[in-house]
Formats: sequence, C-alpha cells, structure tokens
Amino acid sequence: MAGLELLSDQGYRVDGRRSGELRKIQARMGVFAQADGSAYIEQGNTKALAVVYGPHEIRGSRARALPDRALVNCQYSSATFSTGERKRRPHGDRKSCEMGLHLRQTFEAAILTQLHPRSQIDIYVQVLQADGGTYAACVNAATLAVLDAGIPMRDFVCACSAGFVDNTALADLSHVEEAAGGPQLALALLPASGQIALLEMDARLHEDHLEQVLEAAARAARDVHTVLDRVVRQHVREASILLGD
Amino acid sequence: MLQKREKVLLLRTFQGRTLRIVREHYLRPSVPCHSPLCPQPAACRNDGKLLSSDVTHYMIPDWKVVQDYLEILEFPELKGIIFMQTACQTVQHQRGRRQYNKLRNLLKDARHDCILFANEFQQYCYLPRERGESMEKWQTRSIYNAAVWYYHHCQDRMPIVMVTEDEEAIQQYGSETEGVFVISFKNYLDNFWPDLKAAHELCDSILQSRRERENESQESHGKEYAEHLPLEVLEAGIKSGRYIQGILNVNKHRAQIEAFVRLQGASCKDSGLVSDILIHGMKARNRSIHGDVVVVELLPKNEWKGRTTALCENDSDDKASGDPPSEPMPTGRVVGILQKNWRDYVVTFPSKEEVQSQGRNAQKILVTPWDYRIPKIRISTQQAEALQDFRVVVRIDSWESTSVYPNGHFVRVLGRIGDLEGEIATILVENSISVVPFSEAQMCEMPVNTPGNPWKVSPEEERERKDLRETHLVFSIDPKGCEDVDDTLSVRTLANGSLELGVHIADVTHFVPPSSYIDTEARTRATTYYLADRRYDMLPSILSADLCSLLGGVDRYAVSVIWELDRTSYEIKNVWFGRTIIRSAYKLFYEAAQELLDGNFGVVEDIPELKNLDMKSRQAKLEELVWALGKLTDIARHIRAKRDRCGALELEGVEVRVQLDEKKNIHDLIPKQPLEVHETVAECMILANHWVARKIWESFPHQALLRQHPPPHQEFFSELRECAKAKGFFIDTRSNKTLADSLDNANDPNDPIVNRLLRSMATQAMSNALYFSTGSCAEEEFHHYGLALDKYTHFTSPIRRYSDIVVHRLLMAAISKDKKMEIKDNLLSNKDLEELCRHINNRNRAAQHSQKQSTELFQCMYFKDKDPENEERCISDGVIYSIRTNGVLVFIPRFGIKGAAYLRNKDGLVISCSSDSRSEWKPGSLQRFQNKITSTTTGGESVTFHLFDHVTVRISVQASRCHSDTIRLEIISNKPYMIPDTELFHQSSLLLKSDLVKEVTRSVEEAQLAQEVKVNVIQEDYQKYCQTKGRSLYTLLEEIRDLALLDVSNSYVM
Repeated sequence: MAGLELLSDQGYRVDGRRSGELRKIQARMGVFAQADGSAYIEQGNTKALAVVYGPHEIRGSRARALPDRALVNCQYSSATFSTGERKRRPHGDRKSCEMGLHLRQTFEAAILTQLHPRSQIDIYVQVLQADGGTYAACVNAATLAVLDAGIPMRDFVCACSAGFVDNTALADLSHVEEAAGGPQLALALLPASGQIALLEMDARLHEDHLEQVLEAAARAARDVHTVLDRVVRQHVREASILLGD
Repeated sequence: MLQKREKVLLLRTFQGRTLRIVREHYLRPSVPCHSPLCPQPAACRNDGKLLSSDVTHYMIPDWKVVQDYLEILEFPELKGIIFMQTACQTVQHQRGRRQYNKLRNLLKDARHDCILFANEFQQYCYLPRERGESMEKWQTRSIYNAAVWYYHHCQDRMPIVMVTEDEEAIQQYGSETEGVFVISFKNYLDNFWPDLKAAHELCDSILQSRRERENESQESHGKEYAEHLPLEVLEAGIKSGRYIQGILNVNKHRAQIEAFVRLQGASCKDSGLVSDILIHGMKARNRSIHGDVVVVELLPKNEWKGRTTALCENDSDDKASGDPPSEPMPTGRVVGILQKNWRDYVVTFPSKEEVQSQGRNAQKILVTPWDYRIPKIRISTQQAEALQDFRVVVRIDSWESTSVYPNGHFVRVLGRIGDLEGEIATILVENSISVVPFSEAQMCEMPVNTPGNPWKVSPEEERERKDLRETHLVFSIDPKGCEDVDDTLSVRTLANGSLELGVHIADVTHFVPPSSYIDTEARTRATTYYLADRRYDMLPSILSADLCSLLGGVDRYAVSVIWELDRTSYEIKNVWFGRTIIRSAYKLFYEAAQELLDGNFGVVEDIPELKNLDMKSRQAKLEELVWALGKLTDIARHIRAKRDRCGALELEGVEVRVQLDEKKNIHDLIPKQPLEVHETVAECMILANHWVARKIWESFPHQALLRQHPPPHQEFFSELRECAKAKGFFIDTRSNKTLADSLDNANDPNDPIVNRLLRSMATQAMSNALYFSTGSCAEEEFHHYGLALDKYTHFTSPIRRYSDIVVHRLLMAAISKDKKMEIKDNLLSNKDLEELCRHINNRNRAAQHSQKQSTELFQCMYFKDKDPENEERCISDGVIYSIRTNGVLVFIPRFGIKGAAYLRNKDGLVISCSSDSRSEWKPGSLQRFQNKITSTTTGGESVTFHLFDHVTVRISVQASRCHSDTIRLEIISNKPYMIPDTELFHQSSLLLKSDLVKEVTRSVEEAQLAQEVKVNVIQEDYQKYCQTKGRSLYTLLEEIRDLALLDVSNSYVM
C-alpha cells in the first residue's frame, strides 16, 4: 500500500488544511488562582498547560543566584495519557530535560531578566495531549502564563513549526506530518522586532530551501501572535470588568 | 473560516493491538469546483483546468467504478468527469500507488476533460461516518451527497449522472433528487455512449475477467506459488540484510528457467555480492514478471546453481541438456514484490488446433506474449477465434497464488500477424511508444507559415536579439536531403586579429513555451523515433522542418555560442551565449564540403547557392567559403588534439569505422567513409555542448541537466581480454587511453575483421551514457568517460531531443541571471528534473530498442521469401567470435548479422566436415576448450573450430507465429566462403541496405495491392529520413552498443 500523501496535487494536506494554514488555536489565561500566572492552550489537538511562579527569592542553593538578572527555571513534562498509547514518562528523562532547556533559552531571551536581579522565575509546562508541535504549544502557553503573571517581557514569544514536503513549506505540522519523517523546523519569534528567540531543526534540509521554510514558520508565528494578542486583550477586558464591579 | 471536526480512527498496530487515533479534519466553505457554470468563480478560486462547457451532463463515478473501470474512464471521448476525493482516496488505499498515479496523471493531463473535487474538505459535502456504517456505504453516501451539492452549486443547470455498481444505492438514491441520476456503469455506457465500441468491448472484457477471478477464489485450488510476505516484513528484512531488493531481469533465451536480479543501491554494498542473483525456475520466481522490483531471499550455498552456457532455443524449455553448467553463482527465490511494473503486452492467440487441445475451458485462453520474457497470460474472451490472426494488446489484472498463469483482459487489436504495419505497431507497443498524430489543440499553438501568410521576424524579437544576418557568414553542413537543420556554424576574423567561432542552434524554446500543450507532448515523446523505414517526430513538422530548421537563405531565430579565439594558438579567450537572428548562407552536405576542403571545386555545380552566380562573384564567394571551411577544420583539429592530450578516449575515431562496417548494412545514412568534415562538425558541437554544460552548471549547481558516461566495469572486459589472448594480443583496460592504444595494436594484418570484432566487444562492455540532474550526483561523477570531459550535456539538437530543449531553457535562465534580470520561466527543481531525466533516458532506450527491432524485422523480411538452399545471397562468409558448449556464435560481416550456429542438432547429431569441407550431421560428441571446439564423430573423424575462424554459413529465417521471426545460421562448410565475384564484396553495402529496405517494402506493397486493401502508401523515399541522424561522432558512440550488435538469437549478455 502506498504511503500517506502529505500534500495532494490540489494543495490539501491530510487534514484538509492548505500549506500555510494553522490549526485551530484556542487559549485561556488565568486558569489557576494559586499560581502567579497560568494559561491553557489548544493548538489543534495538542493541549498544553503552563504555570508561572515568581519572580521570587532563589529557592535551594543560594549559589545559583545571578547578581545581575533573574534566573529562569523551566520544567517540561507530558502526561502519561498524552499520546495514543499510554506511556509512563518519568521526570528528568532526556527528552523533557532538552525541552526544558529549550524553553529556558527561549524565555531568557524574551523576559527582561535584568529587572529582577538575584531572584528566580519558575515556568512549569505540561502537555496534556500531544499531536505534533509540542514545543510550539509549550512556548505559546508559557508566554500567556508569563503575561498573566505580569512579568515584564520584551514582546510576546510566538512559536510555530514548519516542515518541507514536495518543495512546499508546510506550517504548523500535525503528528501525522511529523511522523512521516521529513525535516521539521521549530521557530520562536519575537514578532514586533522580528528577532528569533530560538530556532531548532535536527533533520537534513538543503540550504536552498531553508529560507522558504523559515519564511513559512515566521509567517505562521505572526499569525499565532494575532490570535494570542486577541486572547490577552479579551482576558484583560474581562478582568477589568470584574475589578470595576 | 475553517471548521474543525474530529475523526476517530481505530488502527491496528504491528503487535496486533488496536489503537485509537483522533485526527483533525478541517472543512472550508469553498473548494475549487472547476466548473464553468460556477456562480461565484472568485470564491471557488477556480484556477487551472476547467470542465469543458459543451457537455450534456457531468459524470461522477463511484469509488468502485473508479477502481475497476479506470481504463474506460481514460477514453478521451468521455467528457465532463468529476472524480470525488473520496473515490480517489479509496483508489490510493486499495489499489496502490501505480493505479493512483495513473489517476493523478489523468487529472493532470490537460487533454482529458476531468477534474477532482475535494468533497471531503467542503463544509456542506462532508458527511461524518456514522456508527456501525460500513466503509463502502459511507463512501457511496458521501459521493452522492457531494453530487447533489455540486448540482445545486451549478444552479441546477447541468444534470449529473452518478455511476455506481452498488444496486442498493441505485434503489435508494435513484429518484431522490431531480437532476441527479444514479445508474450502473453498464447502463451508462449503453445509454450515453452506444457508439463507443472500444469502451464496450473493454468493459465486457473487464467484467468477464472479474467474474472469472471471483469464481476462482471460490474454488480453492491447491497453491501453485508461495504467498508473498507482507510489506512490513519485507521492509524489515531488507533493512536487516536478510532479504535483498532488486529488479528482476528474465533471460530472453531461457525465459522459463533463468532470471536474474540486479541489485539496487544500498543492498548491493551491504551484502558484498558482486554479481547478480540467479532465480532458477518459475516456482522460485514466484509470480514476478520481467521488470518488477522484487525482494529476494538467498538460498543456502549448497543449493546454488550455475547459468547454462549451451545455446538453446526458447521452445525447448524443459529439456535440460546434459552439459555441466558453469560454476555456481548466488541463487535465490522471490519472497515478495515491491513494485509491479506491468505494462501493455502484445500477444498472439493460439491457432485453432491449439485452442481445441486446450480442452474444456474454451472461455479461458492462454495467449503467448510477443516478448519471450513475459509468461503466458490467461484471457477470458469469446472472440478468440476472430482474433486468431491478429496481434493483440492485453493487460495483466492479477496473479493469484493458486494460478499457474496470470489473468488478463483484452484491450485492442493492432494488426495482422506478419503484416508490416501490424508488426511495426507491435514494436511500438512493446516499447511503450505512443505515436498518435498531434492534436488540434496542439497544432493551434503553432505559428503559421503559408505562402499567403508567411512567417516573419517580429520587431520586438529583432530588438532583443543580436543580429548576425549581415555580419556573419553562417552555413550548415548536413547529410544530403536533410530537412531539420538544427545547427549551423560560422567563423570570421575580428578587427583585433582574433578569430571568432560561432555555433548557432535552432531556437526551439522560442516556439515551445514551457508547459504548453506542445511542450507536454514533446516531453512525453522525449525524442524523435527512427525506425528502419519511417520516423515519428517529436515536434510537428511546421517546426521541425520549417520554422525551427535553419534553412539556407531565410531569417531564423537561433541560440548561439560564440567564442573568441587567439589567431595562432586557438586558445579560447572569450565566450558569449545568447539569442540571435541568423540567415544561413549555404546549406552544404558533407561530401560537397569535403570536396571543397580537398581543393576540388568541381562540386560547385552541386551547391545551389553558388550555381546561378556569374563567374566573378562566384569566385569571390567560393574563396570566402573555402577559407571558412579550412579555418574551421584547423580549429577542430586543434581542439580535438587538446582533448586527446587530456586523455580522451581514442575509440571514437575508429569507432565510427566499426560502426560503419557493422552498420552500413543496417543503416543507410552513415556514409561509407568517415570524412574529416564529419569530425570537424562533431568537434564544434562537442565544444558547444561542453561550454553550455559548464555555463548552466555554474549558474544552477543543483538543477542543471547534464550527461554523464560512467567508466565501464572491469569485469565486463574479461571476454574481450580472453578473445584477444587467443590471437596473441594483450588488451590493457585500465583506462580509456590504454584501452584505445592496445586496441590499435591488436591488428591482424591478414584479417581486418579480428580488430573490428575486438572493438565491438570493447564497445559492448561500455556503460550507457545517461542524463542526470546535477543536484542528485556528486561532482566527481559528472565525468564523461568517452569524451574525457568533466562536464557535458546535449544542447545542439533541440528539434529531435527534449533534453536539449530543457538545456536551452536553462541556458536562457542563466543568461538572464547574469544580467540580474528576473528568470521568466519556472525552472525545474532538482527532484522534478531527476524525474524528467529518468523519463528521457527511458525513452531513449525505447527509441534504440525499437530501431533495432525494426531493423531486425526488415532483415527477416528480406530473407524470408528466399529459398536458403538455392539463393546465392543466403550463403555467406562468417567469423566465429565466441565458443559455447554446443555451438558457436558467428558474425557475418557482409550483412552485419550476429547469430548462433549449432554444432549439435536437436537429434543429438554433431557436425562433421568431409574432405571437400561440406558439412554433414553424424552421431558423435563435442568437446569444448578455452578457444576452440572440437566435434568428433563416432567414425573418428573430427573437425575443430577456433575463435576467429572463417566459415561458410547459410542464412535462413525461422518463422514464428507468436514472436518476431529470427535469423538462423547453419554452418555448411568449415572453409571461408569464396565470393565468386570479388567486386561484390567491396561494393558499397550502402546500396545493399537500401536495396533491402526497398525490396521488402515493395513486396509488401504488392501484396497489399493484390489484396486490394486500402493502405497508406509507403513513401518512395523511405530510405532517406530527411532528417539528421548520427551526425556527431558522439551520438554514434552512444548508439553503437545497442545498434551495432545485432545478436539475432543468442548473446547471454543480460
């Protein structure tokens, strides 16, 4: 039997999107009252929860404190029920460590850490359902949570993935498309300045095509930004109505 | 704007557990409907192909119809077909990639009036599958729902016919919506296309073969073959190295027993196997057919077998001769087929007597394919008797493990057996060459050039192009009578004293824009096909013989390469590429050009451009031309010498002679003697090709089309070395230069044929030159072995090769890139180009095969009606060039035929020669040595044949009903044949060949006239192609491998 056709001759992807279209994004801020900031996001069937504490005093070893800026501590975990087959994922496995590190790099670039020297900001992200683009969902959820916590940032950090099939760049890959084994690029962007907070790709892609894929990912990240922006404004409006009462 | 839905799938994992997967599914309010009746074309975004507006109804096939009757839907007469996405996806999932690709190509083909409607992504057409609903029911329901929506979308203006095989659906939906009809396929054909006979026949034959298959699966036979392993197991096996993947290649001469698997790519390196893998017998071959990509399991070493080296005929398949086979080689059995490569096959129905002997199943008939390598095919038809004397095209449907032979169905009739037209059609189908005349839509794109409305150079083009009409003396040198002149030359002295050499090529791309109808057609054809007596053009004659052809005295567009050379050293100082306008001053032919070069001005009378001038201006013009020719020859000599110093293969110069000697009988366009002017023109073309290759590679390092010629494998030379040793020569095959030198030395003064045979063996060991895309190959592999150039491409014959058209477009893009201008045409990406290269290589191979087969056809027809016993010309001199266990291979220089001659006949008698050297058959035995074979009779007489011995052979034709006729050789004396008239031997065989073709064609014509059958009158001047062919030495070198070696019945070279 033939393999799945990722991009049909008519330009449709497996799930009916066209090459540049995103999956449906739904998000909410302030889902937990006890944390300083929290957010929940759905990108298609990928669902992630982010919680932020801080800035607060350094916990644990004092030696970790940085004299000139805040320490950003990120932890990633994914639920046992997040994939098709139930699978226990212990804390501190290689994959979640790597993801935590990526998130930390991303947010160190975005949060104005020098405003809070010798303090710590904790970001905890959990993936409830994984259907491709987990990194992007985590970054987007964490951005909303950081905003919810009122921690000053340079800009939103919006992330999106992109792939490359049949000479066409596909934005926001789903799990089916990721599993097909083509190149996948994850991009975290500061949309206002167009600066790249993080760019990651571990498959082989011809140099000539990189620009095209990068362009697709950046455009998708900007689209994500408009959605997140709307969510934040909505949240602020609701909060101000509550406060006003 | 998009709506999100979720689909829940239950999949089974490899371990057998079920897995619940949720997939998203996005719907949108509008998808392209591709209908001209669309009320909101802007919203639908109907770009690309539209349905035509002059149909009476739209036809929507159900999924089952698309699966089973796709061949009928391919008929161009059926118009207004809407394929629903649901149906296409079922084809993809259930019928595999091949069938799906066919459907995709159909949808892409602009000539077919059919479109795809993505109903599953349309908000109102999509229906979720209900709980407990079977897949089939849901598919039919979706397609019907989409049909209804489509009907309303077109504002009820166009009736829609949904065609299904599901009786329930016809009942249920038949009268549900007005304007949307649901009927069965048979019903549809009867009502709407009662006159389309071919479709009806095809439909019947498909129906019948399906019924048979169903019956068969009910009767559960014992299994004939092992089941194929599932795909996952195969893939895992290949990865782990347990199985090996390769292409099945059936031995033409032992189709029943021997097949070889040529290893592909990675598996070759891993397994450490050098040679091919032998597949012995039909059981081990396990239902794979020649050309399939198969997966093989190696057998343990003690079961390995060797290939047989005895000569044999195909009919005597099961008879295992007592001769010991050669040493065992890796042997395996097929465990699965990765990709089936079934195509249309030409077959012959058994004659009446055989049908009766086949007994009770009069409905099922075993037909014999024309190609020996294809197994017999079982056809169910009632027309068997009527089709007896015809060549027929069939297709294979399936091959169950319970059946000895594959099942197929009848497609169409080609022509009578033995009839020239029918046989030619057979050759075309067998090589998958389709030569329908150019369609009206294609001809509409062509420019007009009639006496009333002559074609002119347009002013815009005149501005953009460099005008060489006044400044340059441009002329062409071609064979006599040539119509498609695609290259011209010029040479002149510049003001600064340097020389300027120009090569001007017809600008075909100006007339053939990318992805126009004519471009699509040319790409499909890929090359002009030359058969022995006719040709099939790649481009319509208005282009190939008129507007693109650089004829003398008229203005033409060209693409030029112009070099500035140093006056004395001929070093290239500068090069310019670009579009030009030229007016060729002379259209010379080779012989005349050579005479002029030799200072023999008598030929002036033959040059029409000079004939009508007065004495004085003629003298001036002549001097100018002769100077140019002389200078050109000088330059060419110099370039050639330079290439030689770099280690160019010295073969070609002499290769031409080999080619000629072997081919002059076969090919009438190759002149008797290679003139120097041939080499001059060829050298200029090679130079142009080389420079263009460098240019496009520099501009587009990842997507340029070049041509490579890989160095040959050393092991292929072993036969050559051994043969040479028999005569006491040593052949050094380490590099192209040493090979050429040692071949030069291997010359027997008494027998020039020895050298020719050695050279042809060397050529046979060469690899084929191939087109490739630079992005898919490392730069070291670009090398061209034959020409000793680091980069090479084809640029100089765009009229008859599609590769040259692609190269022209690349060159144009490279020029605009240099000027920082926008590149107008979309260039092909590396992947597409690679795909295209594969297609062109494939077509070139088909062109070579068809040319070879048609030549054989003519040879056989020539000898067919002669009585071999009496006719003088059926007896000829032959040279033994290879020894087998029960016979020898003989080359006949006079006709350029190679073939096998048996030393032991079917009754087990061996040959013996009496004192007057006449041969007879007597009981006895054969003994084979390294380079001789001895036949000893029981009476004690013995006769020995050595390599390169001259013998007398009788040529006869072995007629065959199902296959092509073959030439048969019989040794009648072990002494050389004495030609009564020595003149005959030295006479130009050029004439002989044209005689041959002429005679065969005439006799065919007479036969047809006698039958008073109206046929196309075969052109009188068939032997003149009126087209250039084999002009460059290099093209000769390429073709020699296939054409020079006419192995009539045996070669054992796979």
